[in-house]
Amino acid sequence: MNLVKIVSKNMRQRALATWLTGASVMLGVALVVAILLIKQGVQQRFEQGTLGYEMVVGAKGSPLQLVLNTVYNLDISPGNISWKLFEQLRDDKRVKLAVPFSVGDNYKGFRIVGTTDSFFKEFEFEPGRRPELAAGRVFNFSEAALKSAFREAEERAREREARERGEEFKPAAEPAAVERPFEAVVGSTVAEDTGLAVGQKFIAAHGVQPSAEAIEHTANPWTVVGILRPTHTAVDRAIYINLDSFYHIEGHELRAPGGQAKEEKPAAEEAKDTDPDPGQVSSIVLKLRSPITAFGLYREINDREDAQAAFPAAEIRKLFSIVGNIDRLLLAQAVLILVVAGVAIAVSIYNSMSERRREIAILRALGARRGTIFSIVLLEAVSICVLGAVAGLLCGHLVVGLANEALYKASGFVIPAFHIQPLEWYVLGVAVILGAVSGIGPAIGAYRTDVAKNLAPSS
Amino acid sequence: MSDIENKTILELRELRKSFRSADGAPMEVIRLRRFELGAGEQTALVGESGSGKSTLLNLISGILLPDAGEILIDGTDLTQLGEAARDRFRAAKIGYVFQSFNLLQGFTALENVLLGQMFGGSNGGTGRAVELLKKVGLEHRLDHKPRALSVGEQQRVAIARALVNAPPLVLADEPTGSLDSKNGAAVLELLQQICADGKHALLLVTHDPQVMGRFRKVVRLEELQ
Repeated sequence: MNLVKIVSKNMRQRALATWLTGASVMLGVALVVAILLIKQGVQQRFEQGTLGYEMVVGAKGSPLQLVLNTVYNLDISPGNISWKLFEQLRDDKRVKLAVPFSVGDNYKGFRIVGTTDSFFKEFEFEPGRRPELAAGRVFNFSEAALKSAFREAEERAREREARERGEEFKPAAEPAAVERPFEAVVGSTVAEDTGLAVGQKFIAAHGVQPSAEAIEHTANPWTVVGILRPTHTAVDRAIYINLDSFYHIEGHELRAPGGQAKEEKPAAEEAKDTDPDPGQVSSIVLKLRSPITAFGLYREINDREDAQAAFPAAEIRKLFSIVGNIDRLLLAQAVLILVVAGVAIAVSIYNSMSERRREIAILRALGARRGTIFSIVLLEAVSICVLGAVAGLLCGHLVVGLANEALYKASGFVIPAFHIQPLEWYVLGVAVILGAVSGIGPAIGAYRTDVAKNLAPSS
Repeated sequence: MSDIENKTILELRELRKSFRSADGAPMEVIRLRRFELGAGEQTALVGESGSGKSTLLNLISGILLPDAGEILIDGTDLTQLGEAARDRFRAAKIGYVFQSFNLLQGFTALENVLLGQMFGGSNGGTGRAVELLKKVGLEHRLDHKPRALSVGEQQRVAIARALVNAPPLVLADEPTGSLDSKNGAAVLELLQQICADGKHALLLVTHDPQVMGRFRKVVRLEELQ
């Protein structure tokens, strides 16, 4: 027989109160743990997600929007930038790799991203990690085919504008016969959710978000030629298509930065421009040769009127400095739940004091010292808090673990649910303090119990 | 008479204890000149209800402190000890049997006895407790909680608990008061029989003439004033 056994007996004797108060602590701790895990996991995944994306270039607007759209396939594109800028950056000595992206369609809510094969062959979405194929092959990119697609897109834009003006449209030239296979490589989540397999065809809908009114590109079904292995990044939730096929689609007319249709220049002006802009893309991801030159390039791009550059890592840090305040609010709520749980423990033990007084008097009559009685009551409150906290820690991890599947489907990444964070040890420490604080009042009451009065036979 | 029987286990001298009444006036409950109890001796202390018998036992056990006087148990003046030392002394030297048994409901018969052993500072395992429970005829009830025991059995557990630390002094406050006459007689016989080994002095408080009749030495509280 020892104090721990006495405390354990007391807790079992008042099992319902013990369970209820322990459960309230568990709830509070589970919330704290879940918030910490989600916050740190999301931040970690977001920051990790930017590792391969050293610099992103896009249309003027919100740099965060540009980053979210390009790196995470979230939000909408702030606009288009010229292909000429892509060519300039690709040929810039400071740039190791430039990958263009164009967005505008979706399939069952999954974003369709037009890009080049360098995305699969050269681009590392995280250091040392390239998108790998689980099945099939990747598509091949041809710049000649892309430029042809640009011309076709421009012709379509002119035709549409002529129609709108009620004029007859005369094509500039007969389109050259270019082989343009509509091939797609799909991310692992897309394949899993939609059931798309190599060889299957699908029809994309216009717009980056699914909508009942969205126009479907029924004339141009894409064929899945490859399926990527899971990367646990936004790549898993995207469908990658050849950039030239993207511009071959009706509705993907070229638009000037700012959303206006590409202006038809007067013939004289057109003649002066020896190298007209052949087309546009939504954004460009850059890998740089040296971080030393990054800021110079960043400034040069941002000095332009038609484009902006953003460092994804910096933008995500800014985002989390804003989101951090919400985290603190949620944490404060969870801490409040813990405080309420502490009060519940104190109330529960106080309420049981009338029946306990006799037991305390018996223990005292058997020779238990006041300090021993004080310790028993305090240990009981601390035990409830610690057991509740341990259950809360397990529960918090379990809930995040169970929620991971849904999170992965929604965002393309998972949170390391069973990774114990250093903060959790503090949570346990807080539980001990909470137990001690909530137990100290009842423990003092127990300490002061009048033995003679409470030993008297109850009639 | 042996040396043990000659030894005085309990000695009370000029003991006084008052409580404050509802109107705040002091009300003397105990006024006792001298009382002695020898080792192995069994004495019934008799008094009317409300005459202070239980208060006297609480004073002797160190649960209450007297306003004046000395309480010598096995040569130690309890009134000179601090509270923690009194608690330790009580656990080791005094066994207490209550009218209402005062067993802890969440604990089994064996655990109730072991509780007494724990506070007495003995770490002798369960051997002594089991032996005592066998002695009181409860070897088949070790793992039963008080609710599963009859009142007679509960009082027998209380007797085993009181004796687990082999105290030289056993105090019993109306131990048959909550039992029917048959059970009461059996429990009393058991208590007297166990205490008859000469190692325990028994001071039993009662107002029951039948109980008094079982003691060779009966002391009226009024006679001690």
